[in-house]
Amino acid sequence: MDTLSLPSPSYAFGFHSADVHAYKSKKGLSQAIVEDIAFQKQEPSWMRMFRLRSFDVFMKKSMPGWGPSLSKLTFNDFYYYLKPIESQAATWEKLPKDIKETYDKIGIPEMEKKFLSGVSAQYESEVVYKSVQKTLTKKGVIFLDMDSAVHKYPELVRKYFGTVIPPGDNKFAALNSSVWSGGSFIYVPKGVKVELPLQAYFRINAAHMGQFERTLIIADEGSFVHYAEGCTAPIYSTDSLHSAVVEVIVKKGARVRYTTVQNWSTNVYNLVTKRAWVEEEGTMEWVDGNLGSKLTMKYPSMYLVGRKARGQVLSIAYAGAGQIQDAGAKAVHVASETTSEIISKSICRSGGRTSYRGLVKMLHGAKDAKSRVVCDALIIDDLSRSDTYPTMDIQENSGSMEHEATVSKISDEQLLYLTSRGIRGGEAQSMIANGFIEPIVKELPLEYAVELNRLIGLQMQGSVG
Amino acid sequence: MPDMKSSTLSISKLTAKTIKGKEILHDVSLLFDSSKVYAVMGPNGSGKSTLAYVFMGSPEYKAEGKIQLDGKNIHDLSTDARARLGIFLSYQSPVAIPGVTVVNLLRTAYQAVHGAMSIRLFMTMLRKHAKELRIDKMLLERSIHDGFSGGEKKKIELLQALVLKPKFAIFDEIDTGLDVDALKVVAYGINKLKKAGTGVIMITHYKRLLSYIPVDVVYVLAQGRVVKTGDRKLVLRIEQKGYVGL
Repeated sequence: MDTLSLPSPSYAFGFHSADVHAYKSKKGLSQAIVEDIAFQKQEPSWMRMFRLRSFDVFMKKSMPGWGPSLSKLTFNDFYYYLKPIESQAATWEKLPKDIKETYDKIGIPEMEKKFLSGVSAQYESEVVYKSVQKTLTKKGVIFLDMDSAVHKYPELVRKYFGTVIPPGDNKFAALNSSVWSGGSFIYVPKGVKVELPLQAYFRINAAHMGQFERTLIIADEGSFVHYAEGCTAPIYSTDSLHSAVVEVIVKKGARVRYTTVQNWSTNVYNLVTKRAWVEEEGTMEWVDGNLGSKLTMKYPSMYLVGRKARGQVLSIAYAGAGQIQDAGAKAVHVASETTSEIISKSICRSGGRTSYRGLVKMLHGAKDAKSRVVCDALIIDDLSRSDTYPTMDIQENSGSMEHEATVSKISDEQLLYLTSRGIRGGEAQSMIANGFIEPIVKELPLEYAVELNRLIGLQMQGSVG
Repeated sequence: MPDMKSSTLSISKLTAKTIKGKEILHDVSLLFDSSKVYAVMGPNGSGKSTLAYVFMGSPEYKAEGKIQLDGKNIHDLSTDARARLGIFLSYQSPVAIPGVTVVNLLRTAYQAVHGAMSIRLFMTMLRKHAKELRIDKMLLERSIHDGFSGGEKKKIELLQALVLKPKFAIFDEIDTGLDVDALKVVAYGINKLKKAGTGVIMITHYKRLLSYIPVDVVYVLAQGRVVKTGDRKLVLRIEQKGYVGL
């Protein structure tokens, strides 16, 4: 099955015209390729210049001098602009067996399977998406893919794009800034509360455009939005470098929740920069689940710049054989009475490694700021490892800072208890592991939560990967 | 109607050591019949709890000798396999499992032991048993034993026996730390379990609970050996004269 039903150019989901689909950049990265991307997308000159400036920064920046080794990453081994058609596995039969089996085990419907695996570009949620769009438009909410937003709302995008995470922030932010493609753009007007979570799931290209996604969310004063992206089912990707940038602007009294669950196949480097700028009495909540990839480095951060701004990071990480999950959070308290809470839970098994890496910074003048960090690790066997790297930089005396860290194993007593009720050993382990992450799983949208529990269950019973 | 055909659980010439090598039970032989109610008594350190753990196949103990359920040797079976065959242990100080609710645990266990049952039927059955034991509905939705009071823990252990309907239920000191009202409720539950056909084995120090439950056979353990076997009159003698006076 090689034929894909491609959407027409006028398709509402922000797909590009047919000639763009046929386009494929050369392997490797150069100024010419960056120019070419801007040309192919017919971007305004300000975006073209932004890409080129970012490319210069990328070339000058060195790799991070901390964290897990990236020495095997060779930038010239990748394509930097692939249209969906090339990044898909193309046929169901060609998908790796373990991924197909996992889809069956977690009970994903046939249509959805093909969508997730990249076999089908069409997805039945089209109808749902259109009705969601209609409601949003009435309220003045903009929810588009980033490419379309650049063309349709150039002033709005230009005003905020790259302001929270400038290209010079780090090498991977610079890389993303020069070659980004896809991602979401959301603008929520003053006082508007979006009741249902907006899901990238409903944008049919979400699964394929994930390589250098660029997402920008602006929540105007007093508004609320919950954005959910990714999925718990393993996403098979032939591109082994993924480097997204997510910028969120939370204006006075607004609240944004951003939920991500990633389960990239275990050949993927997932190096993501996520940051929120939070103004007076605004609230930012990052809910982050990392299950897949070979190496993930992700530290959702919040700059609490207005009085009483609040930030929260809830994260779960699972590392199995050959996986490193280096995840954490960053809270920078700039204004007074700001609060941050970071709760991180990780499970490692079969030689996997999890790390919590976090920074809490209270700048001089951030009076009465409060921060609480809790990180709990569950280590299943002696092959696996978990580390904690908390950094605190407190320049203000009036603040308060709590930090708790626990490392535990599944206790023999708990296993005996469950098995003495007739539950088999593997299932008992998975119940204990799911129980361990339950406080965070319950914050996820229901379908994510259900699938995540099943997936952890499968991992723990050794029937996956 | 419950199946009234009785089962037997027996050990013969059983020796049990901790994994560190300390011998706790020496050459113990006992027979239990599910149509009768048993009390296993004895002073602290006599090996009563070890006996319970050995029946359950806890990896903390190394046991030698025969353990038979209905004539089949279960010595080499895993803990979960024994539970599925119908052996149940109510723990003296049950461990908490954060994030695993009472409902979730019991439904998973029920399906492992008896096979699938619709969630609606299961919940109806569970709530009925819980109500009879005066267990607050909210407790069923909480993580098992996590922050439960002493009385709540004991009732939740008993609730599991009622739901899982084992062939034999061993209650390891279910009477300790209960006030009179809770004790009566627990006794009611145990009597009900017996009527439903489960063989009841109570490990206890005191006669308190036994005054609400008609006991048929009393085994007395001391220093890892069976030192006395009798009927309910033996309970009274122990209460009056202590174990030393036997």
